[in-house]
Amino acid sequence: MEPLNLPIAGTKVETAKVFDRDPETVRDEDLREAIRELGREGEWIVQPVPEPYYLAPTKFGREKKIPLTHTWHHKSCGQCGHIPGYSTSIFWLNRVLGLDYFDPRDQTSCTAWNYYASATSNQAAQAAVAMRNFSAAYETGYYPIIHCGTSFGHYKEVRHELVHDAKLRRQVRAIIEKLGRPFVMPEEIVHYSEWMYAVRRDLAQRVQFDLSPITATVHPACHYYKLQSGDAIYDPEIYGGQRTAAVTGVVQELGAHVADYSTWYDCCGFGFRHILVQRDFTRSFATLRKIEVMKEEANPDVVLTHDTGCVTSLDKSQFAAQAHGRNVGVPVMSESQFAALAMGAHPFRVCQLHWHSVDYRPLLRKMGIDVDKAWAEFEDDVRKIKSGELEYVTWEHVL
Amino acid sequence: MANTDTVLIVGAGPGGMEAARTVAELGKKVLLVEAQAEIGGTPYASYATLTPDLQETEAAMGHIVRGIRHNPSIDLRVNTRVVKSEGDIGAFHVTLENPDATQTVVEVGAVVIATGFQHFDPGRETQMYGYYEYDDVITLVDAEAMFKQGKIIRPSTGQAPDSVAFIQCVGSRDRQIGNKYCSKVCCGIASKQSIEIKRMLPNAKVFIFYIDMRMYGFWEDQIYWKAQEEYKVNYVRGIVTEVIRRGGKLLIKGEDTTMGRPVEVLMDLVILSVGMEPSKGTVQMSKIFSVPREEHGFLQTVGGPLDTVSTPVPGIFVAGAAAGPKDIEDTVSMGGAAAAKAVGALNRLALEV
Amino acid sequence: MPSDLYREVALEEKQRLFDEVKADARYQGYLYGCYECGICVAACPSARFYDFSPRKITQTLAREDVELFYEQLNDDVWNCSQCFSCNRCPRQNSPGGLITIMREVAVNNGLRSMKEALAGYTRIIYKIMTTGTQVSPDMLQEDAFPDWGPQVKTVSDNLDVWRRALPPETLHTTGLSWQVEEKTMHELYAIWKLTGTLDMISQVDEGLHDIMEEIMDDALEDSGLRVD
Repeated sequence: MEPLNLPIAGTKVETAKVFDRDPETVRDEDLREAIRELGREGEWIVQPVPEPYYLAPTKFGREKKIPLTHTWHHKSCGQCGHIPGYSTSIFWLNRVLGLDYFDPRDQTSCTAWNYYASATSNQAAQAAVAMRNFSAAYETGYYPIIHCGTSFGHYKEVRHELVHDAKLRRQVRAIIEKLGRPFVMPEEIVHYSEWMYAVRRDLAQRVQFDLSPITATVHPACHYYKLQSGDAIYDPEIYGGQRTAAVTGVVQELGAHVADYSTWYDCCGFGFRHILVQRDFTRSFATLRKIEVMKEEANPDVVLTHDTGCVTSLDKSQFAAQAHGRNVGVPVMSESQFAALAMGAHPFRVCQLHWHSVDYRPLLRKMGIDVDKAWAEFEDDVRKIKSGELEYVTWEHVL
Repeated sequence: MANTDTVLIVGAGPGGMEAARTVAELGKKVLLVEAQAEIGGTPYASYATLTPDLQETEAAMGHIVRGIRHNPSIDLRVNTRVVKSEGDIGAFHVTLENPDATQTVVEVGAVVIATGFQHFDPGRETQMYGYYEYDDVITLVDAEAMFKQGKIIRPSTGQAPDSVAFIQCVGSRDRQIGNKYCSKVCCGIASKQSIEIKRMLPNAKVFIFYIDMRMYGFWEDQIYWKAQEEYKVNYVRGIVTEVIRRGGKLLIKGEDTTMGRPVEVLMDLVILSVGMEPSKGTVQMSKIFSVPREEHGFLQTVGGPLDTVSTPVPGIFVAGAAAGPKDIEDTVSMGGAAAAKAVGALNRLALEV
Repeated sequence: MPSDLYREVALEEKQRLFDEVKADARYQGYLYGCYECGICVAACPSARFYDFSPRKITQTLAREDVELFYEQLNDDVWNCSQCFSCNRCPRQNSPGGLITIMREVAVNNGLRSMKEALAGYTRIIYKIMTTGTQVSPDMLQEDAFPDWGPQVKTVSDNLDVWRRALPPETLHTTGLSWQVEEKTMHELYAIWKLTGTLDMISQVDEGLHDIMEEIMDDALEDSGLRVD
């Protein structure tokens, strides 16, 4: 690859041309209409987005209702399993903003990671898993908000299939009824990064560090916006409304600089099956097509994304590449962790950065965070837990 | 009392002008209404030269435009819109509106709708072409504007490009966008433009990325072979999926499907071959005259391939791209046919009266 | 077009598998036709790394070329990353979705190539199907992820304590991603049974199937959930 010495482009477009969305030209169907119609016909209960909600712009100009509070958190198996600071940061942000949420135990994963990896499932099973979780959310009175990009995309696929396939709908409904549960479809399927976008100004008001020296590159998650693309958030302020505004809109609002790079549309290389049993593919793609290109073109301090798989492959793949002397070495985290850090969350008690691979300390120092002090505090927690003095680190410790 | 001597023609592009001339020649009166201040339509307003013969538009169409203006049988109303219509064949009461909102009602016997198309807005493209991100991504129409000034430059620098890529089928042949049709003319226009660019910049490399080259009849050797053989334009089978800035240039990504290998090359200028959609005026006329739109969104005709101008509404005819993507040849032919049928309908009505 | 590969497999068998793919309810919405624009390939990460082409998969199915289909069913489908970047297809095909269906058929029919592709994966099937969470913290072991560096070992050495150092109570787990209620798991078992998903596993690994069936049947009996 030829060396490049570029001015780092931000998300403001360089052209004066302005795209005017014309709702009359939108040709894809608005599934939400069909969902409400099926609700009126008694096919399912439609769970409404609770008020107050935020109206976010989507790709073709329709507005999407994003719940602000009273949310039921559909957790991600990979986030909770090996990036626990991801989910913890989302909860922490809700607490700091004083917003009511519910962290359920009556929740399974969407099981789509397995499905996309091994195909050891089928349409009906995947739809039943989704509808069981929606039912569980409905019964608590809280509104589902989905942490994982793959769960979000997969549930939208399932929703599309259930709307259009009456036979499947009947089959899945019979299963859900057998479980003794109501058959419920939420009015909107919402990703947590859309909630982050909705509250971005409230987050920005609470930023405690000067983020202006920080340059981030954003990896938009394939399953967030490539599955059922008309339903993702697009903001005219971000790349002229031509790319999704999720993550980028938040990070810029927080005061950091978002830099563009030429492989932004490429996948992270996760591959579902590959990340588990064929990682040569994942490592190559994640480093050669993503991290190295970012380094060369934007030299970012951090890579931010909004999905489980992307954080995993982009972070974990760098070790082997670094060992081969490749031009890598950029910390990777979710925008929820980055926002929490910016708002003064503890890097280890809340953001749990010790679970990440690439060295994040230079980033924290650049942000103005005393990383050594924070680590000492966490080590002290660990000592107390080991000695039995402390059973768990709790929310009281971090708020 | 039926009005059997006036035909209203809506839209004064190539189709509407030809319809007006023909109606006049056949001895009826014409009321020609044009929403814009100038007549001549999209080709006259936006294209420096015509496809396929590369004639300068002014030279090719100027005398027609002037002929329309000076024809005593043609009552030309520019800056005028049709806003309402009542009645039937022989007695359409049509309300016209000026920019100052003055309305007048006219009675006409028959109507020819020639309200044409608009170019597809690349902001709605599902591929990542960056038209609203980068100055150096332009459309065929933007290129014509430069040709009118006798140049082709990179808007970002003002310099001549060393490499130019055309991307075909932007907004056409795409179920995602909802346009399931081919726009018919873009292959020809891109080839025509590639010749013009090579004439101005013989050392520039010009590429056309296409799915199928649709160069009907004489267009084949007049522009396709000509561009390929005489001007060494590179035709690459495969469509670009992404355009992104890299350095001062545009990186385009796609697959060369003939060679079966990925393409990632830097270009100075990217030209999007935007297709046709029904114009706003066409959509409005559909509502005002109750002419249904066919499944692609254009005005419906009733005769299939054997009658291209009769709509389901008696006394209302259509000419040109209001009825679907058309080249100028077809548009003008339809203008004549619509005029003849409109006059024929009025003549029959006169006999019945 | 006859394929040189897999000559030992009868054409009827290849046709049968193709028909199974084509009979899937999603097939009609995933395949319209292909005009070879290459958009899917240009956007495909696997096409950059392997001799793999979503365009060829789509074209093969559209042509109903069962010989080539069988080759792809064995040699290509497991290379797909399932990122669905190919969903931008202007014809609205979903090559990735077609591959999902083909993989399901490969699983349901116990293809040897499928078993090879999923070798080493069965512990994950076990985890997701029995717990409802896929990647539990205790799966982060250095022998499974040697290329992720020494940090994996640090995590596994400190796992129990580090999990307790998490403020959300639901994350105080090591064998699951979060605490899942027993009743929730039982409902999941019922879904696997009612949709034939558990049966699919016997094609991948008979032993794994038998173990899971026993666990699920016992649990379902205790729970009182009926799955017949």
